[in-house]
Amino acid sequence: MKPQNLIALLLFIAGALWALTRSEPTVRSIQKNVYLAISPFITGGTSLESTASEFIQEVEHSKEWELKYNLAKEELDQKRIEVAYLRKLESENARLSQALKFQQEVPFHVLAATIIRRQPSTWWQTVTINRGEKQGVGVQLPVLAPEGLVGKVDAPSANTSTVILLTDENCLVSAKVDGTPEVGILSGQRGQTGDNPTLRLRFLSKDAKIKPGMLVFSTGRGGLFPADILLGTIESFESGPLSGNALVKPAVDFAALNTVFVKIPNSPESSR
Amino acid sequence: MIKYTISVILLTLAACMVQQFLPAISGLHGARVLILPLVFLCAAASVDFPPMLLLAFICGFLWDAQHALAPHGGNPEVYTTPVESLSFGYSIILYALMGLLMQGIQPLFRNGKWHISSLLAGIAIFLYLFSEYLLINFVRGDFVFPPTAFYRIYLTSALTMLFSPIIFWLIFQLSSACQHTIRYDGLKNRSRLSV
Repeated sequence: MKPQNLIALLLFIAGALWALTRSEPTVRSIQKNVYLAISPFITGGTSLESTASEFIQEVEHSKEWELKYNLAKEELDQKRIEVAYLRKLESENARLSQALKFQQEVPFHVLAATIIRRQPSTWWQTVTINRGEKQGVGVQLPVLAPEGLVGKVDAPSANTSTVILLTDENCLVSAKVDGTPEVGILSGQRGQTGDNPTLRLRFLSKDAKIKPGMLVFSTGRGGLFPADILLGTIESFESGPLSGNALVKPAVDFAALNTVFVKIPNSPESSR
Repeated sequence: MIKYTISVILLTLAACMVQQFLPAISGLHGARVLILPLVFLCAAASVDFPPMLLLAFICGFLWDAQHALAPHGGNPEVYTTPVESLSFGYSIILYALMGLLMQGIQPLFRNGKWHISSLLAGIAIFLYLFSEYLLINFVRGDFVFPPTAFYRIYLTSALTMLFSPIIFWLIFQLSSACQHTIRYDGLKNRSRLSV
């Protein structure tokens, strides 16, 4: 081996060991700086993605309108465009009203956020939201939707935050099955893909009286998630030699999720 | 040489930014184009050993800085069995191993056979994702390998490999702009001598 190659190898090993032995706060600080540097690109990527999807939709609609133009009168088409626009406004209004209602009804302070990037990494079930430390988002804060629990904040930076979803194996929630004394730990399952992932509720009694369709709520124990947040419904129950496991269908439709709410300790003025 | 190495480093940093624009395709089991690892692999085939290690460090560091997860937190009396995550810095080692693989067939690449390197880039991405998944299984203490995980690995590496000719073209453009010779003329002379 050439001397310069040997020196390079030794320097590389030293660098890799340095990186591998960083403490948790140092890693968080590195991540924060990297996210700060790339956040303009994430925002740019999101707007580019939405522009592209709007363009595709527009192209599809144009073809559709052209076909209809050959069949119907111009005036009728004009009316249809108006109706379609009004329907779009109506659905947007319904979505925003639901979000506003949820924000007003919950017994704690929440901060509305929009998902700007889905699943940025290969193996972790995460999303990026457009709220960060400047808006009062902190690490480990619960993230909710009107339907139930979404996950928790993993890495907040200045203006964006990474949220680890309930469907990830790393997101553990202390959960209870409604109508039974059963309490367990709910988490996602490894290597799942697709729009309908299931969750696994572990550490239940092996002879638990659990039936499909029963609701699963958070217990509030463990200091991470508030109590009585809907997590999902039981799909099946398996009894093992020591404990029982249940498969749970999440309450939240993660594929259709756009607006989420971060539970914040106090509501800063900036978020209003 | 230094001018070319700096250009390649800048290209990998640009790839890191471009990666933010490439979403996972839900219809293909969440597969995506991994442009940063691809640029690293293509660059690794064209540079010497020390710059390859420098690139591996930069790419691995940036990759982990974006993807490392925080510990679960919460009351340890309730969450008695926390799920382990891969520690910060593991990607640096994986990138270096992938780079070594690409350097193994560097003479072929320097002889103008970039298509073999292109194929190997796809294989290296597959091995990278597969070993990453095995490491996750290892640190979590059990082995779970559903077919969907295999599809994601396979489709990601296949999708990424499709883009390798573009990256190789970019690398060749960079080298000519920097007046750097990737092709190894010694091999040409050797083949002439053997004839």
